[in-house]
Amino acid sequence: MAGPEDKPPMDKAMRVRDVMSRQVYTVSPTDTAQSVARLMKETGVGALPVEVPGVGTILGIVTDRDILVSVVAQGLSTSTAVFEFMTVAAESCEEGDSILLAAQKMHDLRIRQLVVVDEKHHAAGIIALADIIRVSPELGGLVRDGMSRQQPEKQQLEGMSPCPA
Amino acid sequence: MPGLTQDRLWSEAVILEGENRVLRVQSTRDALLCLKNHWPMADGEGNARSEALAACDRVIDGQDEPDVARGAFIKAAEEAQFAVHSWTGNEGT
Repeated sequence: MAGPEDKPPMDKAMRVRDVMSRQVYTVSPTDTAQSVARLMKETGVGALPVEVPGVGTILGIVTDRDILVSVVAQGLSTSTAVFEFMTVAAESCEEGDSILLAAQKMHDLRIRQLVVVDEKHHAAGIIALADIIRVSPELGGLVRDGMSRQQPEKQQLEGMSPCPA
Repeated sequence: MPGLTQDRLWSEAVILEGENRVLRVQSTRDALLCLKNHWPMADGEGNARSEALAACDRVIDGQDEPDVARGAFIKAAEEAQFAVHSWTGNEGT
């Protein structure tokens, strides 16, 4: 009978480029919470990279959770601009990174998505925990389980660092 | 939805006030989504709405300037009986 050591190690040797989504919907820092929500509804995507319009440099990421926690729960207007509640300088990865490295970042930062950037720091794609689970349920499961681990005191959730207005 | 990976910002936001809601729109892609998914008229209703949808498509494809979509969007909003608030009106049409 085959033991665990007989499994091909291909899942951990896979690269981000093999599993990421290449279709990236980006938003601008001056877009509003409501316009981002409308785009999320249409595309079914819950995390959108924020880029400098016309330049393409990625500044951070905004998630559906950011809208709930930082706008709705705070009682802010739905016209609140993205730059007021986005996660600035979100952790990113590159296409050539291993999915093990991407999974490690997700685990350490308790995040479910990473923006994949190219050498110009433009968005090349996005990799979600679901993408990792699809190709490596074991690795993805470890990350997912890590999300529910005890939270150290004073650690910010999901790397949230609101941009100063 | 490859078209939605592109957006073209307007020179100024348009704020629509309807019954119990306020829509703030400042880009062509967002206008398209409002017209398509959040409009108080059924699909196929409204000439101005159809024209605005077509204008948004053209602008996103790069065949027209963003403020053309903005102007068409304002006309569609008036047709749908939104109260339209903007400083510069429907320039571009």
